[in-house]
Amino acid sequence: MMDNRTFLIVGLVISLLVGSIAVFMASSDPDGLESTALVIQGDKTLTGAAPEDAKIHEVTEGRFSYESPMPDYALGEEMGSAGGLVAILAGTILAFLVVLGLVYVMKAPGKSV
Amino acid sequence: MHIPDFAIPIYQGVIYWAIALVFVFLAVRWAKNDMNEEKLPLVAVLAAAIFAIQSFNLPVSMGTSGHLVGGALAAIVLGSPFAAVFILTMVLIVQGVLFGDGGITTMGANIINMGVIGGFVGFYSYKGIKAATKSMPVSAFIAAWLACLIPALACAVEMFIAGTFPLMEGLVAMGIYHAIIGVIEGVITVAAIYLIMNVRPDLVDSGVKPLKKVSAV
Repeated sequence: MMDNRTFLIVGLVISLLVGSIAVFMASSDPDGLESTALVIQGDKTLTGAAPEDAKIHEVTEGRFSYESPMPDYALGEEMGSAGGLVAILAGTILAFLVVLGLVYVMKAPGKSV
Repeated sequence: MHIPDFAIPIYQGVIYWAIALVFVFLAVRWAKNDMNEEKLPLVAVLAAAIFAIQSFNLPVSMGTSGHLVGGALAAIVLGSPFAAVFILTMVLIVQGVLFGDGGITTMGANIINMGVIGGFVGFYSYKGIKAATKSMPVSAFIAAWLACLIPALACAVEMFIAGTFPLMEGLVAMGIYHAIIGVIEGVITVAAIYLIMNVRPDLVDSGVKPLKKVSAV
């Protein structure tokens, strides 16, 4: 049976591989929610292809807006796939470390959060 | 189905956040008190895996793509819907804050949809179907399918309340797209459970393990 350390490493490596493949292979079609938004604003039919240049109408008035450091899992146009790779790998490792650290702290004897 | 900030008015986002925080609190309590310490590596690996699979948009035809949610997987292998709430909350925080995938004011709604509804639907439908069919793959597949579809429908209702989507059109489109995405979710969930069971059967919740073969009945 795989020990904990090996399980952690293998699990993280598989996740990083999935994320890396995603950078190159993921579909660029709008996702379910975006697609629904396009259907509702009349830019796409329910079963039809998504138009290349279709944009979702955003109501910004009275809505919160936030500029994330790596929007759309990328580091900007000029970085291309390399930027995407860095973003996804960083996100995967961060999700891993945040949860590992949090659970570790919570489970550490004599400590409470 | 990550709802962006512009799609929901701030006050509604605050209401979803308040509801979500109750479940996040219970999920933290689950992690502290009920989660077996030996499950720690599995929880961390699931967080990384769910982040990665959520970044992988798969084509589902009809000009649409979709990614997996992972709520059913987390809830089934860790034996609690709160496992899904815990992991999905952390993943959604990383996605929202760092990558702008899902809003900040709408993060509560996203936690409710994917973590809470995904986790509870995934866990209890798995338990129920498993009791009836005795089959892990059948139960996990259906549970994961439902845990993809029902959060999408909840999302459509929230978008209706927000005044962003009309109710029927939203439900039909979200329902159709996620019914297809859910099939992939089901297949991957079953495969992931098999994979984890293979390398570390001790980490998987006992409810998932196949019934021991009984030589004489």
